[in-house]
This record gives sequence, C-alpha cells and structure tokens, in this order.
Amino acid sequence: MNSETFGNLDEALARLPRELSPARSLWPAIAQAMNEDAAGQRRGPGVAQLPRWPPWPAALAAGLALVSLVAALSWSVLRQQAGTPTLLPGAAAAGAQQTMVSFESPRNAAFLAARAALERTYAQRLALLAPATRARVQSDLEVIRKANADIRDALNHDPASPLLQQLLRSTWQQEIEVYTDVSQATEPMLMRRS
Amino acid sequence: MVGADFEALYRAHVGQVYGLCLRLTGQPALAEDCTQDCFIAAWRALSGFEGRSQFSTWLHRIAVNAVLRQRRRRPGDALRMAEELDGDALHVTDGQEPADTIDLERALQRLPSGARDVLVLVGIYGHSHEETGAMLGIATGTSKAQLHRARRLLATQLGMGLETA
Repeated sequence: MNSETFGNLDEALARLPRELSPARSLWPAIAQAMNEDAAGQRRGPGVAQLPRWPPWPAALAAGLALVSLVAALSWSVLRQQAGTPTLLPGAAAAGAQQTMVSFESPRNAAFLAARAALERTYAQRLALLAPATRARVQSDLEVIRKANADIRDALNHDPASPLLQQLLRSTWQQEIEVYTDVSQATEPMLMRRS
Repeated sequence: MVGADFEALYRAHVGQVYGLCLRLTGQPALAEDCTQDCFIAAWRALSGFEGRSQFSTWLHRIAVNAVLRQRRRRPGDALRMAEELDGDALHVTDGQEPADTIDLERALQRLPSGARDVLVLVGIYGHSHEETGAMLGIATGTSKAQLHRARRLLATQLGMGLETA
C-alpha cells in the first residue's frame, strides 16, 4: 500500500455525496419541539395563532415568484458546475409542506450571526466558481437583495402586514440557500486542492 | 429568532447533517433521530453561535454529539460493528479497479467506529484534524492515527493496492 493507493482512496471518498435524503420528513417533529419550547417560555395558554393573510397586490406575489425562480436557477447552475448528482429528491415536496411556525424574535442576533458566517464562506468560495457562473450567482443575489429592500420599504408603510413579513422572511431564506449552494458546490474543489 | 428563519437553515443543511449521521451510525432510523436531536439542540443553542467557525462546522459538531449520545445509550451497536470487523469479516474484492460508491459505503460501515468516525469527518466532510478531534473528544494526533488506520483497513477491504505475484 502506498501514497498512490491512499490518494485514490481519498479521491473516491471525496466523490461520495455529502447530502443524503432521509426517508421521512424530519421537520414536523423539530417544529413541534420548538413550539413546545416557545410555549414553555411564555408560560401562557399556548402559541399564538398565525393571522390569516389578507389579499395583496399581484406585484408582490410576482416579485416573490421571481425570487424563487432566481434561486432555483442559481441552484441548478451550481449543481451543473459542481458535477454532483442531484440529491435530496424529497426536498421540493418537503418545501411544499412547510410547517408554519411563528415566534417572537428575542434571539435575532443569533440568526444574524449564523447568516454572517454563511455569507463569509460564500465570499471566500465565490472566486472558485467559473466566471460565468459567478456572475450569474452575483446577479441573482442582487435580485434577491433588491426584493428584500423593496419589501422593507413596503413594510415601512404597513408594518403589521403578515404577508409582507412572510415575504421578507422568504428573501432571507433565498439568500441563505444561495450562500449554502455556493459553499456546497465548491466543497469538492477544495477537497481536490488539499 | 423567528421559526421560519430557522426552518431556512434547516432546509439548507438537513441533507449534510443526515448524511453525516447516517454514516456515523449506519442505521437510517437512528440517523433520523440524531438529525432531529441535532436541529433541536441547534435551535436551543443558536444564541451561543458566535460566528467564529463556519455554521456547518458548528452544526456538524452538534450532530456528532447527538450520535455519541446515542452510542452511549446503545453501546452494543459500536461493539457489534467492531466484532464484525475483527471476526474475519473483511471482504477483499478481486482486481484493483476503483471501488464504486456502494462498495465504498459498505466498506465504511465495516470499519471500527473510532476509525470510521475520523474517516467520515475528515475524508468525506472535509474537516481538519483539529476540528475532528474537538468534535470527537480525542487528541489531534489520535485523529491522524485513526485516519491512517481507517485508510489502511478500507484499502485492504476494497482490494486496493494489494501486491500481486
């Protein structure tokens, strides 16, 4: 056994998919535990019900659809570049059955710290992408951030709107997904370099 | 933090966390339990995340803790795997073709848990020996030694680099 053998083995290991999809959706039980935590903290009669969403101008809905499309395209382009097999086949279905959870936000700083860490990794890895892919990802991220700014403006006029709040959260989610996709798509390149 | 924000983090990372747990436990149902434990613990500890490490590294550390807790509750599993390996269960394939993914995954599961843990964290998930040692509660040097042992055992199982007459 020599270093070439170990090199071949390391390459084979690095090619294994890092993401695997569980057979069942794990989120509902996690959300339930989070709800129980929140209910315990409040010591009240239970978690507040989500208010019903009022109808909202079609422009905002179209904006959200655009954001979703942009993120999906980024994901697809990055997957192609990484040459990794398509994984998590249940992700789309799982996304469609998202459990709605609402909490007050005493720990927003923690979310911001987590997002900042993802953004740092994204910034470090962006240079590893092919120029065309990099430009596409940056452009898509700009669209998401612009949508975020527009929704914030709208919230200034209607701060209590649950729809606007939901739209704002969705742009955060899209942003995180772009950061994560870039990070995961560039992992094999880093492994090959090391 | 709003629950929907955390759900975004969950959806972005669940594949990696489950993949890690599955490779460390070798049992899908147990890996699902560990993944859920990991995200619930992460939700409770998120205020303590200071951004000094990558978010995925922080999350993997919590996942490894969940797996180690499960092992302490079910010590027979780790013992059984080690016995399988020591009990002449090494499977050597013919030829020197690179192992395919399925062979490799199966061979991983036959490694002793100490060697497998390090190989999974370093070889598949790209963590440094320092990070791996901190996650597993072992010294950096031990992590390096376990990696060497794991690669040697794995190469033997897969028939890679065997001398021919």
